[in-house]
Amino acid sequence: MGKYKIEDMAKKIELLKQTATELKRISGGIQAVDCNVDRILASIKMLEINISDLVGTI
Amino acid sequence: MNSGEYWNPVLETLPREKLQQLQLKKFKSILKWAYENSPFYRSLYKGAGLEPGDIKTLDDITKVPKTEKAMLREAQGKEPYPYGSILSVPIEQVTEYRQTSGTTGQPVYHPETWQDWDWSAESWAYALYAQGYRDYDRVFLPFGYSVNIAFWAGHYAAEKIGCEVVPGGVLDTEARILKMKELKATALMATPTYILGMADTARKKLGLDPAKDLNIKKITAAGEPGACIPATKKRMEEMWGAKVYDQIGATEIGHWGFECQAQAGLHILEAFHLVEIEDIETGATITEPGKKGSMVITTFDRFAHPCIRFDSKDVIEWNPVEKCECGRTFRRLKGGVVGRADDITKVKGVLLAPTAIEEVVRSIPELGDEYEVTVTKKGDIDDITLKMEIAPDFKGNIEAVEPKLVQQLRLKTGLRYNLEFHDYGTLPRYGVKAKRFKDLRHKE
Repeated sequence: MGKYKIEDMAKKIELLKQTATELKRISGGIQAVDCNVDRILASIKMLEINISDLVGTI
Repeated sequence: MNSGEYWNPVLETLPREKLQQLQLKKFKSILKWAYENSPFYRSLYKGAGLEPGDIKTLDDITKVPKTEKAMLREAQGKEPYPYGSILSVPIEQVTEYRQTSGTTGQPVYHPETWQDWDWSAESWAYALYAQGYRDYDRVFLPFGYSVNIAFWAGHYAAEKIGCEVVPGGVLDTEARILKMKELKATALMATPTYILGMADTARKKLGLDPAKDLNIKKITAAGEPGACIPATKKRMEEMWGAKVYDQIGATEIGHWGFECQAQAGLHILEAFHLVEIEDIETGATITEPGKKGSMVITTFDRFAHPCIRFDSKDVIEWNPVEKCECGRTFRRLKGGVVGRADDITKVKGVLLAPTAIEEVVRSIPELGDEYEVTVTKKGDIDDITLKMEIAPDFKGNIEAVEPKLVQQLRLKTGLRYNLEFHDYGTLPRYGVKAKRFKDLRHKE
């Protein structure tokens, strides 16, 4: 597993999540932002399942 | 194998002990989620005196009450309508409606949030990638895009991988075959019944040989046993000149098992699920190969309608060989799902799995693909009739086949049958889920 930078990737994924969440917070309720952020967050969840959830396990 | 052969080389080759650690972590997480967000689960667990914190090891999991389809049906049809008390997210977050096929009764309604739907596509992507789907594939989906989950997630998973997806929804069978030919589609997803039926239509009505005239290289077969029955798989592969891979899932559970290119048993997608096998009669946990049992399954990371220790009634058996040549560490099942606990029934005192009959019928080239088994009671004695069709190109004396058939049925099922041979094309055809086993004993 050493060839994959799991922890580094997990940090970037967390950063993406924070950025998306912050974008939604400042959207002023623009639906075109909020709804697309929701989709981005769903994709980020898939990254968490694939990568971030492994931190502490491997 | 190099990492290019896996959708996720880290998860798919995780050492077993690490995989089990991950499963425990995820089991605890979904249990806590359901307890905190679903009145159905909270009530179920409180009634059993269980708190999420009680689960500390994988061995503790059997303390968690099981669920089954009848409980899901009972809970639905109420507010938040129509999902009822299992719904574990605000209903405003639900973006897709699905339902089970209703093969075993009233359909179960299933809500998908956008995230849960992405989960479905993600889980299918593991399977399709393992079966060799790549971004250069043109994938044809010949199913009725409707309220049933069917191959919807396969569609989105193929897109996610980068394939070009051709939705063959409202086309009829002939038009679908011609479209596959016209576009030189390279992959296909369908039920085993329909895969055989399409090949039959291609030959009989269009004068096409799918193995020669079409460009399909791989087929994902789901929705029924079939690709896990060697004789049926062989028929499909020969008819299409393509590799056929078994794939399994259910609306309530999600996709949970797939065959890889080694075609050596069904891998459980263990990064997304925890599978337990229980003895059908005693309920004891089966951990070793050699005995069939009923599957109890938990789905991780799917939050709107949690699926925790769901008794699916699928009959499965652990594969005796631990490691697959593909390198994945996900445990495998021997022969996929071999039947349903509902269908495995005692006939003349013998446990009968209808898939064993299919294995015999489809291993005999003089017989067609269709068959029907009917169990009745004459006085106190069970009576089984097996109807079969004679293969369309067989011109000999079908009675000469009978001794071989009787012997194989005896060997595989331990039973004697009334045998009926019918002309080709006279038994019922099924588009999606076939009902070839009819137990009429309780209705007489």
